[in-house]
Amino acid sequence: MSDPTTIEVDTFYPHPPAKVWRALTEPELIAQWLMPGDFRLEVGHRYTMQGRAVAATGFSGMVQAEVLGFELEKVLRIGWRDAADEQRVDWTLTWTLQPEGRGTRLFLLHEGFDPDDPLQQQAHTIMGGGWRSGVPRALEKLLDRI
Amino acid sequence: MPRPSVVAEGTDDRVFAALASPVRREVLRLLRDGGPQSVQQLADHFAMARPSFSEQLRILREAGLVSERKDGRQRFYRLEAVPLAEVQDWLSPYERFWRERMAELGAVLDRLEDE
Repeated sequence: MSDPTTIEVDTFYPHPPAKVWRALTEPELIAQWLMPGDFRLEVGHRYTMQGRAVAATGFSGMVQAEVLGFELEKVLRIGWRDAADEQRVDWTLTWTLQPEGRGTRLFLLHEGFDPDDPLQQQAHTIMGGGWRSGVPRALEKLLDRI
Repeated sequence: MPRPSVVAEGTDDRVFAALASPVRREVLRLLRDGGPQSVQQLADHFAMARPSFSEQLRILREAGLVSERKDGRQRFYRLEAVPLAEVQDWLSPYERFWRERMAELGAVLDRLEDE
């Protein structure tokens, strides 16, 4: 919450890291929980995914993604840009897998929210520190539709 | 912390204020993951004088995020889900997006096991 340019989410799965890794890196599995796309586990590989537009932030929904780096069954870093406007969004998603008991804790760090972009920042504010600035009703409704 | 200039209807200022502290969020996480616990059990996780820790609990209590039950000389705390659910509704499209996707990922993993 202290860094206005990141989001962190984590969750526990009662499955070993090797299996979670498969779900993160096999295209047919990725399509089942995220979006279809031509993913390949290879640094520098670029691919697109069609997601939902996020009107409140001006995000078109077409993701231009790139594999930035990985460490087998431990870390996967993906770059996300808006395919419609590559200047507008420049996010980095870092998935980190940590063995926990008989399962895996999966961390997602979503970085790159532009503090100078009022739309991006406003959307992020609602998440990270909505209690800091509040949000106009109209925007809240927009967000509800996403 | 600056006061919110606009507060959405149906959201409670005290809840948001209570969540604005890493210590208090950690208390909520401990209660979420470990179920109801005594003040002593919770306090053990923090290098903080007891009166200061009690003050953190009071803020959480007044926000309705936790409730207290006395059992003999011990006081037990539990998480109250309703205010948190309201906050959840209010969260960013991104965090909501990822939470939903990660839940789906869990479903994918559950199905994989059957193969």
